[in-house]
Amino acid sequence: MSHKLQRLLPIFVVGALVLAACGGGEIGGDESEAPESQGTDSSEAAAPSEAAFPEGDIEIELWTKEGDPQIEYVEALADAYTAEHANVTINVVNKDVEVLREDLVNTALAPESAPELVWTVADHVGPFTSAGVIQELDGKVDTAGYEEGALAAVQVDGTTWGIPISNGNQLMLYYNKSIVGEEPPADTDELIATATENTGDGSFGLVFNETESFWLTPWLAGFGTSVFEDDGTTPNLDTPEMQAALEFLYDLKYTEEVMPGEADYTIASDLFTSGDAAMIVNGDWELGNYADQLGDDLGVAPLPTVTSTGLDPAPYTAGSFYMVPSAIEGDTLTVVLDFISWSTSTENQIQMVEELRRLPANLEALEDPIVTDDPLLAGAAEAVQRGTPQPTNVEMRCVFDAMNTGIRDVLGAGNSDFASVTADMQAAAENCVATL
Amino acid sequence: MDVDRSVAALSEVLFTLAIFAVGIAILEGVLYVILVRWLKARLALPILLIAPALVGLTALIIYPLVWELNVSFTNMSLNRLCDPGFPAGLLAECRGEPMFIGLDNYINVFTRPVLQVAGFFQVFWQTILWTVINVAFHVGLGLGLALLLNRHLRLKGVYRALIVLPWAIPQIVSLAVWRTELNAEFGMVNQLLSLIGISGPSWMTDPFWNFFAMIMVNVWLGVPFMMVLLLGGLQSIPADLYEAAEIDGASSRQSFRHITLPLLRPVLVPSVILGTVWTFNNFNVPFVINQLELETSDTLVTGLFRAAFQYNRYGFAGAYAFVVFAVLLVFVIVYVRRSGALRGAYE
Amino acid sequence: MTSTTVPTPVQAAAVKKGITTSAGGRGDSPLKRAIIHATLFLAALIAIVPVLRVISVSLRPENRLLSRTLDIIPEGATFASYENVLFNTDFPQWLFNSLIITIGTSLVGLIFAATSAYGFSRFAFPGRGVGLTGLLATQLIPATMLLVPIFILAIQLDLVGTYRGLVIAYAVTSVPFSIWILKGYYDTVPVELEEAARIDGCSQLEAFWRVLLPLSTPALAIVFLFNFLAAWNEFVLARVLIGSQTDLFTWPLGILRFQAQFQTQWGDLAAASVLVSIPIVALFLYSSKWLISGVTLGGVKG
Repeated sequence: MSHKLQRLLPIFVVGALVLAACGGGEIGGDESEAPESQGTDSSEAAAPSEAAFPEGDIEIELWTKEGDPQIEYVEALADAYTAEHANVTINVVNKDVEVLREDLVNTALAPESAPELVWTVADHVGPFTSAGVIQELDGKVDTAGYEEGALAAVQVDGTTWGIPISNGNQLMLYYNKSIVGEEPPADTDELIATATENTGDGSFGLVFNETESFWLTPWLAGFGTSVFEDDGTTPNLDTPEMQAALEFLYDLKYTEEVMPGEADYTIASDLFTSGDAAMIVNGDWELGNYADQLGDDLGVAPLPTVTSTGLDPAPYTAGSFYMVPSAIEGDTLTVVLDFISWSTSTENQIQMVEELRRLPANLEALEDPIVTDDPLLAGAAEAVQRGTPQPTNVEMRCVFDAMNTGIRDVLGAGNSDFASVTADMQAAAENCVATL
Repeated sequence: MDVDRSVAALSEVLFTLAIFAVGIAILEGVLYVILVRWLKARLALPILLIAPALVGLTALIIYPLVWELNVSFTNMSLNRLCDPGFPAGLLAECRGEPMFIGLDNYINVFTRPVLQVAGFFQVFWQTILWTVINVAFHVGLGLGLALLLNRHLRLKGVYRALIVLPWAIPQIVSLAVWRTELNAEFGMVNQLLSLIGISGPSWMTDPFWNFFAMIMVNVWLGVPFMMVLLLGGLQSIPADLYEAAEIDGASSRQSFRHITLPLLRPVLVPSVILGTVWTFNNFNVPFVINQLELETSDTLVTGLFRAAFQYNRYGFAGAYAFVVFAVLLVFVIVYVRRSGALRGAYE
Repeated sequence: MTSTTVPTPVQAAAVKKGITTSAGGRGDSPLKRAIIHATLFLAALIAIVPVLRVISVSLRPENRLLSRTLDIIPEGATFASYENVLFNTDFPQWLFNSLIITIGTSLVGLIFAATSAYGFSRFAFPGRGVGLTGLLATQLIPATMLLVPIFILAIQLDLVGTYRGLVIAYAVTSVPFSIWILKGYYDTVPVELEEAARIDGCSQLEAFWRVLLPLSTPALAIVFLFNFLAAWNEFVLARVLIGSQTDLFTWPLGILRFQAQFQTQWGDLAAASVLVSIPIVALFLYSSKWLISGVTLGGVKG
């Protein structure tokens, strides 16, 4: 065993080859017999008792991006389903987001190694459809009961590739009420004022992950731009609006000085939970954790309107989705689709809100008091409504990477020559897209 | 812990080992018959000794290498995920395009930016710098510590056990902790520096200090390993050679030059070679410590990863990897020849 | 040759060569000794401080990685992470799995390497240089290059989701490095010892077994230790070859569930790391007795 084979961090690539003929590389490979579509708004947690639930042993391997502790919810869900259907076994396997992406892409080369179901993020639709490893779900699952924005995230040219489980993933403003007060800042001028008031002596007014371009993206709509041109695939990063957005963030750090010198995700989050930061821009996935740690002191609001433009920031929304590998068919497919509908039924979605504190994708569940009565979830729901579905095409990855360099240059190195930064970002994105 | 699963796991491991043993026995038996009984080969014994390892390595390494070489002449990528087949995709088409693209990938490695902006030669130079400095420190400090520990000393075992800890702790956590501790404001490194009145640099954003930090962390990680290797080598030098030299009036520097170094050579040389190769190919440390993906801190291996693997450009990655491999191979062949590491005990 | 309790001429020859323990140090002045201790202390300190931080993280409540103080025992220290890792996950199972694989493959790898290295050291055969260089060349390959084809090969041979592929892979891939190191050590042992044994009637292999191996105990121990450590921490191959078979997870695969793109459970991860390092440290402490010397024969000097 050599040391060079020691672990890589969970991002690495394992390529694979289609052992079958080249046809495996096409999109939408598998034609399976369409089973009777299952209703999605059945409102019991009990098994939908449509006719002819398949007999025989069915084994389902479910890959989920959920780790500890959320994976316990997934496991409980699986257990509840198999309690109703004794002939079905579900093996829940955790795979981190990047790992899951790579592993599923690799199944293009070895279809027998594919799982029966994956629970993952929307932007995987791009690579998965390119590699041809997932199947269309139109007509196989009734999509009427799901929130439109959530569905839109996994629809490409009118074809639906996934079923939403939760809706969100949006960045929003968390604030510590004991420092900031009851009301969040309404616009960015107020944001700066509040932050300045609360900075000093090792405390900071505002923190966020300064190293990932994901934290730049909400502000783009606030300055009136977006990353792609109208065709949705050509990068459009070298614009005055982008420069304005970068300048805004630069000012927060270097002019108003309300942010720490270096802050990655962990540091920003730790500062907020330990009370050393008044406000943080972070995602809805932390809602449960922050609520546990800050209790009643936690406030949640959408990102404040940009004063100079009057536009609202629009964070990217996504969420978690079920996707079905293309190799699955027949009875197994029937059971898989049934599981999908069952687990996203209203009652189960309400339970998910209880356990995971995430916004459901099921429309009825969204209107349930458990969501509407919870001030935190209500804040999150407001934030999600101002969001925009995250582009899921493969080029988006190029764009994120190009913007990463830009944001690190501006916030990390303190480069204030925004014009050259955006020019570099555009060049990098174009170079990347060209070699895809 | 589940008894059933443990028993199952244990029996599977034992079963595999047993199959392994049987396979070896058969291989050796066949070779024995052929080489000793039939051909009466003079060199039967070394071949018998080496055969099992050779067979295993061929399967595990030669086949994958050949596969990679094959792919490197094709345009296989995420959008063209088809089997090129042998040879080199000459006969295959994917999405309507032929897969064989000849030396294009290899040319692209040298002519197009390997990272977002930086080209091959810049990253290559950075890698050389990274490797040389690291190995110098690994060997220097490792040897120094080994020499200190190779004496009668109280608490020797304690020191040794403590110094080995960086190697024992899984890198996944030690590197994550290091990365956080290198934070300019909140990290322990700068906090300690400020205790002695130095204002610590910005390890993550400054290109020079980030490179320095990478080396620092890798030295921390690598010295224990080198120390253990060299200590073992020192242990096998007979003590009375030193005593005889002392009686003859040699200074410790002289006995180091004339006794220690020559006798340590057979162990030192492979250690240096392997240390160089592993440092060159080290992915974890540069990748984690270079959190902001500064192009000045990237090495060939991290560059390979970023440029190729994040986008599933399998063909390009294959070519890039072979270029890296070729560079190392040249170095190894040259160094190995010159250092005489290929000589055996009789020479 | 019969096994004896009286030192054979071979062993007596070894004694005459003075194969004993460490060199010097007895006659050092107090000042010199103080300096040596200080240096070693400093080295140990540098080695250990980040490790102490890892321990701090494991004791910190709320899975926090950052701390603004230099405390080793953090405020509100708690064993909650350890409890969670040990009792709420399959961690003990993963440890057990790792242990059996690692011990098994390290031993097998050692056996392969010990015999092969002997071949390379004591015999001059055509192709030896090429073979050695080739072995070294296997270390040059970036690991990621091998994964894809190994994945495919493993699927074709049905080795995925079991330990079969992993055991073979670990045992075999440890060999090149081990051969090089062992050959190096073997080269330092004078061949005259084995020749003396053969004159006494041993076959070549017996000479290897009775003379060279006992004298190489430090080298064998080191190689075993290295292979153990490498296999213990190995993640990449395990991921490919065990796949989603959660029952068979080794600990590097198991603790992945504590890591997410953003929301890593640092406390649990650190606690797991501490627990996982304990066998290594214990092994190292134990192996130090083998690292001292091969044959002391009561410290007799010729």
